[in-house]
Amino acid sequence: MSLARDLRARIAAATTDRRVVNAVHLAAWRKVDARAESFAKLPHVEALRDKAAQIRQHVIENLPRYLECFVARATALGAQVHFAPDGVAACRIIAQIAAARSLSLAVKGKSMTSEEIGLNAALEAAGVRVVETDLGEFIVQIDHDRPSHIITPIIHKDRRQVARAMARELGCPYTEDPAELTQIARRHLRDIFRRCDLGITGVNLGVAETGTLCLITNEGNGRMTITRPRVHVALLGIDKIVPRLTDLPVFLKLLARSSTGQPMGAYTTLINGPKRPDDPDGPGELHVVLLDNGRSDILTGPLREVLRCVRCGACLNACPAYRNIGGHAYSSVYPGPIGSLLSPLLYGHAYDDLARVSSLCGACRLACPVQIDIPELLVRLRALASARQPRAKRALLRLWQWAMQNPWAYRLGQRLMRWFLPDDGDGWTRHGPGLLRAWTDTRDLPCPAVRSFRSIWENELRDEH
Amino acid sequence: MSTDPQPPSTAAQAAGGAGPLDAFLHALRRRTEAAPRPTPLPDQSNTALRAVRPAEELVARFAAEAIAAGCVVHRVTEANWLATVKDIVASLSARLVLVQPQSGTALTAERAAALGNALGTAGCSAVSKWDDDTLFNCDAAVTGIVAAIAETGTLVCVSGPAVARGASLIPPVHIALLDRTQIVGDLFDYFDRLASTGLPANINLITGPSKTADIEGILITGVHGPGVVHVLLLE
Repeated sequence: MSLARDLRARIAAATTDRRVVNAVHLAAWRKVDARAESFAKLPHVEALRDKAAQIRQHVIENLPRYLECFVARATALGAQVHFAPDGVAACRIIAQIAAARSLSLAVKGKSMTSEEIGLNAALEAAGVRVVETDLGEFIVQIDHDRPSHIITPIIHKDRRQVARAMARELGCPYTEDPAELTQIARRHLRDIFRRCDLGITGVNLGVAETGTLCLITNEGNGRMTITRPRVHVALLGIDKIVPRLTDLPVFLKLLARSSTGQPMGAYTTLINGPKRPDDPDGPGELHVVLLDNGRSDILTGPLREVLRCVRCGACLNACPAYRNIGGHAYSSVYPGPIGSLLSPLLYGHAYDDLARVSSLCGACRLACPVQIDIPELLVRLRALASARQPRAKRALLRLWQWAMQNPWAYRLGQRLMRWFLPDDGDGWTRHGPGLLRAWTDTRDLPCPAVRSFRSIWENELRDEH
Repeated sequence: MSTDPQPPSTAAQAAGGAGPLDAFLHALRRRTEAAPRPTPLPDQSNTALRAVRPAEELVARFAAEAIAAGCVVHRVTEANWLATVKDIVASLSARLVLVQPQSGTALTAERAAALGNALGTAGCSAVSKWDDDTLFNCDAAVTGIVAAIAETGTLVCVSGPAVARGASLIPPVHIALLDRTQIVGDLFDYFDRLASTGLPANINLITGPSKTADIEGILITGVHGPGVVHVLLLE
């Protein structure tokens, strides 16, 4: 069973650039180690994961009432809650908020949900200048690139690529020193933070009981984005809810440790409505855009467990496939194991083949703070996708299934294989016939033994036992 | 905080109106009606999951974790905290320092006034206004905090009247004054204390300086927020 041709081409392209492969490999392993180290110091890890998984599973099984509760409480705090059935609607709502208030300079915190709906392009088309403020996303934006990891967007770039992009786009002196590069970005973005009028962020989790939005960042750009502009728009997937305020710390203990190996992100912010009349700074208006974009279909389908995901990125780092092909090969905003589930569910069957970019080794399941059984769901997704395979392929698979269940057909198959697979003299086939040619072009196939175990057993071994 | 393990669930009426949101929620409720719901909501109590034992020495644990997170921790007393701030400010060659008193924190109006005088005699102007020019041009900001978490070395800053959120964010150096009695053990302890009503608009849990590892995984501090966080721990 081969991958779709373009996916295979993307994987081939991704793995020929040794520099990218090495960068991703090193960075992902570093995070795997950091995660392991920080979990080793956390008491009750498994009990915390159990509880986190159970809370999230409970929420997605009872989502309507928690959403209603969240909407009511957020509204009572003074937030304006909007609903977007899809990405186009979300972009339109946000563009309208900007247009109605003549907002023209938007700063953004890192948000995969906004990437999912292509918000930047939509706002630019509506005449709003959008500036990414997370360092990695800022570099992605000025270098006209795409993020390749949901937590560390430029995991695929080395410092020379960053240096070239900054010198070219910002006109600053060329330097490869990460500290200097960071300071150049800081100065550039400070000026923008002083002038911006619209702040756009994602949300890590919303709290139904209080209408609170929780936002975690390390650089402080998220805090700048929700402090400086007069309007804050928070884009929230309908699935990202926890019931109670006291549920938040369960996730806070797991989230940063899973993402980066830190006990806590540098800044965990709880937002309870827009600024109060006496507050000297902060946004006067808070808009929450609740985004469905396919999530309610997942909720009512056979893979709803995937909605437990809190987008920590641990499964990406843990995945041997991701570490070797990098995020761009997945050609989706959500790469890695969780992306192989989310992409076909959110973007449609064109992404079905991603479910095969996995050896089902289970490292993702062990890394997941909410215990999503990703390998099991990938297998389920493969089964669903196989029902949509071409008729000839399905017929072949049925034939295979039948042969495996009938001893005489199995024996016949073994005999046919010995006829059709030429031995190159050392027990390997290098040039298979017909359909096998493509397979043997890049691999050697061990030839079937001259005598099958079955015949050895019947003629020689059985008498000895 | 309500001890009722069931969250309020019938508050939808408060949203009012019959817009696309209500239509969606209504449709979603209908679509998911028949779906199985085998998973109960776990108990609200997190006591069994706590990372810090009640008997543990909170001050020592907090100091160690804050240092691990990248803060500079000074153990001070009522007698020497002013001198410590003066030393920090002198080492920065700071000329303009924002001093932001806040009720419910160790930086009371009286202490802020005393600090203003002390800094003035050291040739540095201490201001307590929070206009943009001050926030972006000052060399450091001194703030109080409302709580600290020993488990992770976290400082908690909240918004309020005359308290700029930008003070702990925009200046390059943040100096936080903390009383040892404000330290709680664990994240769970802190969230248990947070009332579910009357929350400030903005609560920041600050753990170490602003940082990134976006370029080749190399840790750099002081990206958009302060690169240096001094914690003055009043004992």
